[in-house]
Amino acid sequence: MTKPTIPNQPVKPPEVMIGAISRLLRDGEWVATGTLSPLPAAAALLAKMTHAPHLTTLIYGDPDFRLSEGFHELFALAQKGKIDVFFLSGVQIDKRGSINLSMLGDYNRPSVRLPGGAGSSMLSALVRRVIIFTTSHNKRLFVPKVDFVNATAADDAPWRRGGLSHVVTPLCVMAFDGTKKEIILESIFPGVPLEEVVGNTGFDLAIGERSIPIMNPLTDEELIMLRGPVQERMRLIYPQFAASVWGS
Amino acid sequence: MHSDLMKVRRDLKTVCDPYSGNEYVVVLPIMPDVAIIHAAKGSRSGEITTDANRNDRLLAMAAKKTIAVVEELVEPEDVLPGRQEVFVASVHIDAVVMAPGGAHPTACPGIYETDAAHIREYVVASKDEQGFAAYMEKYIFGPEDHNRYLEVVNFRGRKHV
Repeated sequence: MTKPTIPNQPVKPPEVMIGAISRLLRDGEWVATGTLSPLPAAAALLAKMTHAPHLTTLIYGDPDFRLSEGFHELFALAQKGKIDVFFLSGVQIDKRGSINLSMLGDYNRPSVRLPGGAGSSMLSALVRRVIIFTTSHNKRLFVPKVDFVNATAADDAPWRRGGLSHVVTPLCVMAFDGTKKEIILESIFPGVPLEEVVGNTGFDLAIGERSIPIMNPLTDEELIMLRGPVQERMRLIYPQFAASVWGS
Repeated sequence: MHSDLMKVRRDLKTVCDPYSGNEYVVVLPIMPDVAIIHAAKGSRSGEITTDANRNDRLLAMAAKKTIAVVEELVEPEDVLPGRQEVFVASVHIDAVVMAPGGAHPTACPGIYETDAAHIREYVVASKDEQGFAAYMEKYIFGPEDHNRYLEVVNFRGRKHV
């Protein structure tokens, strides 16, 4: 194996998240990432260079991802059922797997007006798996009930292709329990106390008597790929993010 | 709405547009299992350029699988649409087949014209079973590959090199 271009140094929190998301992607899947999604973009590239060589990556902003005329083609692909995985985030996320991207407080008199749901509602119904990622983990983000639902994991829609698969935060990986229709804790990252996860989540993570595994640390192979070719590609796609993680 | 097509096509339905209140005819979208389109240029990455008049991009986006037959294989950065051409991204293409002259006896605009003499020959041959069988043997089953077919039809466009 070639040596990483970034010298050995402690694994940074974003790198752990990229590794965790990468491991959720399965070989052969078509994986699309939207705007402001550097963590999923890096994860898709990492997965393709490690355990999922047949992944198709559709990364918004990637110079190699060429569309014919516009981003609307991605929605057409989703309608056709070609997109397996898409990534969403939210300013509020609740136990039912609903996300809020619209506003805080009352819709007509919001305390904060947010960017809006964009394609989240449509894409969450048309792709096979939604993975939610967050860049923080606290009780303002993980709330009992969101103020406004842009997309939800649990609804009575007559038809949808898939639904919420996982939630990846800086502390842990949560899974969506399709039977109970709620988010449960799946694993925590190395060095993160369970109490920190529980204390910063505004709803019950259904731990009960379960023993929650600690995610295996990133392997040498994952780190070499991440700090080598993935890092180089990310400097083209998300230069500011790449500089914040791997230096300029 | 008042076309006789509505009398013979029982599958055509009408709906009331909930916004305007107007009644409209609606048809189900066509979703081919496989679309085969002919293109001027393509790359190994799967992107192509094709004649704008043929709606091939729409066809590629509608079909579950799309096979593009191309006249010329070039590098991805050289797949650039010329005048009267459109670019089709690789996300809409499942396979690229390199076959210069692949549109024969019809045209590939800008590269070769329709072979009218060949089409006339086909029209005459297809008037009876015997003539049709002879045509099929001579042009379709007989030639061992595409290059041989182009020789048999005396193809005058660009040939496979």
